Amino acid sequence: MTDSLLTDTVAEIFSAVCTDDALRAAERDGFAPEAWSAVAEAGLPWISVPEEAGGEGGDLADALAVLRLAGYHALPLPLAETGVLAGWLLAASGLRAARVPTTVASGPDLAWSAGTVRGTAGHVAWGRAAEHVVVLAPAGDGAVVAVFNSADLRVEQHANLAGEPRDTVHFDGAAPLASAPAGPGVSAETLRRRGALTRVVLMAGAVGRIRDITVRYTGERQQFGKPIGRFPGVQQHVVSVAQQAAMLEMAADLLCAAAVADPGLTGQAAMFQLPAAKSIASDTATIASAAAHQAHGAMGMTQEYPLHNLTRRLWAWTREYGTGTQAADKLGAIVAAMGADAFWPAIASGGAG
Amino acid sequence: MTERRGGGVRFGWTELTPAELSLQAEVRAFLAAELGREAGRRPGLGMNGAASREFSRKLGARGWLGMALPKRYGGAERSAVDRFVVTEELLRYGAPVGHHWLADRQTGAVINRFGTQEQKARFLPGIASGELGFSVGLSEPGAGSDLAAIRTRAVRDGDGWVISGQKVWTTGAHRNDYIVALCRTSDEADRRDGLTQFIVDLAAPGLAVHPIALLDGSADFNEVVFDNVVVGPDAVLGDLGRGWSQTTAELALERGGPDRFMSVYPVVEAFLREAGSAEPSGLGEQARRFLGRATATFWVLRNMALSIARAVDRGESSVHQAALLKEMATRFEQDVITALLEVIDIQPVNDSPSVFERILCEAILTRPVFTIRGGTSEILRSVAAKAISAQEQVSR
Repeated sequence: MTDSLLTDTVAEIFSAVCTDDALRAAERDGFAPEAWSAVAEAGLPWISVPEEAGGEGGDLADALAVLRLAGYHALPLPLAETGVLAGWLLAASGLRAARVPTTVASGPDLAWSAGTVRGTAGHVAWGRAAEHVVVLAPAGDGAVVAVFNSADLRVEQHANLAGEPRDTVHFDGAAPLASAPAGPGVSAETLRRRGALTRVVLMAGAVGRIRDITVRYTGERQQFGKPIGRFPGVQQHVVSVAQQAAMLEMAADLLCAAAVADPGLTGQAAMFQLPAAKSIASDTATIASAAAHQAHGAMGMTQEYPLHNLTRRLWAWTREYGTGTQAADKLGAIVAAMGADAFWPAIASGGAG
Repeated sequence: MTERRGGGVRFGWTELTPAELSLQAEVRAFLAAELGREAGRRPGLGMNGAASREFSRKLGARGWLGMALPKRYGGAERSAVDRFVVTEELLRYGAPVGHHWLADRQTGAVINRFGTQEQKARFLPGIASGELGFSVGLSEPGAGSDLAAIRTRAVRDGDGWVISGQKVWTTGAHRNDYIVALCRTSDEADRRDGLTQFIVDLAAPGLAVHPIALLDGSADFNEVVFDNVVVGPDAVLGDLGRGWSQTTAELALERGGPDRFMSVYPVVEAFLREAGSAEPSGLGEQARRFLGRATATFWVLRNMALSIARAVDRGESSVHQAALLKEMATRFEQDVITALLEVIDIQPVNDSPSVFERILCEAILTRPVFTIRGGTSEILRSVAAKAISAQEQVSR
């Protein structure tokens, strides 16, 4: 799917901008302007957004591959929000994406009337850092996509477990920069699905990084005269992390393939694999984080050591766009509706039947 | 970068080709006709499925056993993925796979890889037709996880050999035709040297099979005693003294397949069948969550096992992936039963009219063995951990 030239280049960029200092500063300031400049200059936030809509072109597979690397490096930027989410909302609705940090807001409390949006949206990712906020708000029988300049909005600052901005944004009737009826396939539900897709992919990247640093640490840290990774008790944790990472990477690979084949995420396979992967992401993140911390001992609890950049993000991301429990419930209902004879065919085909 | 680290135990995503999907449809149609219509049929749990030479012959007649073996020896020269496709359907139906299981999964491949022309001509057609059943003789009373400690010895006697010793936990030896036994043929500085595999007729004079009753009342495991069993030179499988590496290659076949996460699949399906129909309004919240998590895990583990089969077809070694997968997949097999028990309120009885309840009893009683047979979890973690950290050394 995605060529390694792209991923190698992107990995270099992310590796250069995601230094310990940069991550600390981003958490303190709620944004990382220098990192954004480097990433935006390479066009990365707008991959998969069509060129005619102001994007970089390229397909969803590329965008998701970049997102996985962003998770791996704990990139402190609204990357998923700017392109895969906001860019998609805009392009699908005939609007143009601007080359600025952008986020999305949606929710039951928002309503479109008289040419503006009123209401409040919670947990808006990178709200204070975004220059544009793209809103999906119900309007009569349908919905409207509207772009706001964030300077025109009231932003209440909050942060998730990883210190990433998850702000409350109040829409008090400011005039949008642009608006259009939500395009075909755009709804609160499909936005939520797409959001879940980004979280699974980010988490797959993060858990892969946790595996790598756990393997490295247990190979270097010595106790009783040898690397702690030689002790069966510690090996157990290393293997556990590797297993969980492999599971989530596989789930993300499968889901990405399904999403590329069905970018609207409306087909049977997407309906099955989204909750399946979300449930797997939740379980694997819980187990891998616990095992990685245990393998690292007290060092893994410090701000100085990078493990927390990943584990805190996993603990936060796993609850965004639906929890693992909700995902399991949804998948269980799908499977129960299919019935026992269709159970294995559904598993083997990833829900395609 | 990410792709390179821990790369020794990565699983590449793959999917079935149209040809493989059409094989799947063919197998499903056959099994639905053969097994699906039997009302109240009790499915077997994974490799514990009943042994039926007759059923195995039917599979053989369709070319679904020994699929990767050469055509000249009765095989179909098909791929590991093709075998995966057939196997997962057999397990899904809880088919009576006991008779051909070991021969199809590993012995056929080992004989094909290491055997002489004569051995191939003698044994492979019978394996591919479902006629011959094989046992695998590895563990001994003093050699379980520490396999190199085996003491069963083969001593030269003229052209041939005389074997004495004792194997234990030998699946199916009471009903199979042959055993491939790992024996010590010389004492070397490294205990892993000097071991040799022998193909021995289970009806040979001096060979005695004693079933070992397990806690669930089954007796598929056996003790096999070799008391001066005389075999010809043609019993040696592969190279003298190379039994350890041949066995290691065999273990990858034994550990990476769908049988390591599907043993209790029929229990979950039966739960869905019975609970789903008992509650017209649908399953309760707890049951839905259980089912969703189980489904998601089956989906991922299944694709990891498929990935291993694809790697085998590319000629890659999958020993480490197989160890990593088997360790977690067999734990899942146990956990899924525990999780199921949390969402149902029944005191299961063995003779219940409910198929679900009967196989649930079997699953509860047999599940401890899932993480023991085919390599204990502790040994598998050690194998996987070494591979993971070795890869890290290389990548730095």
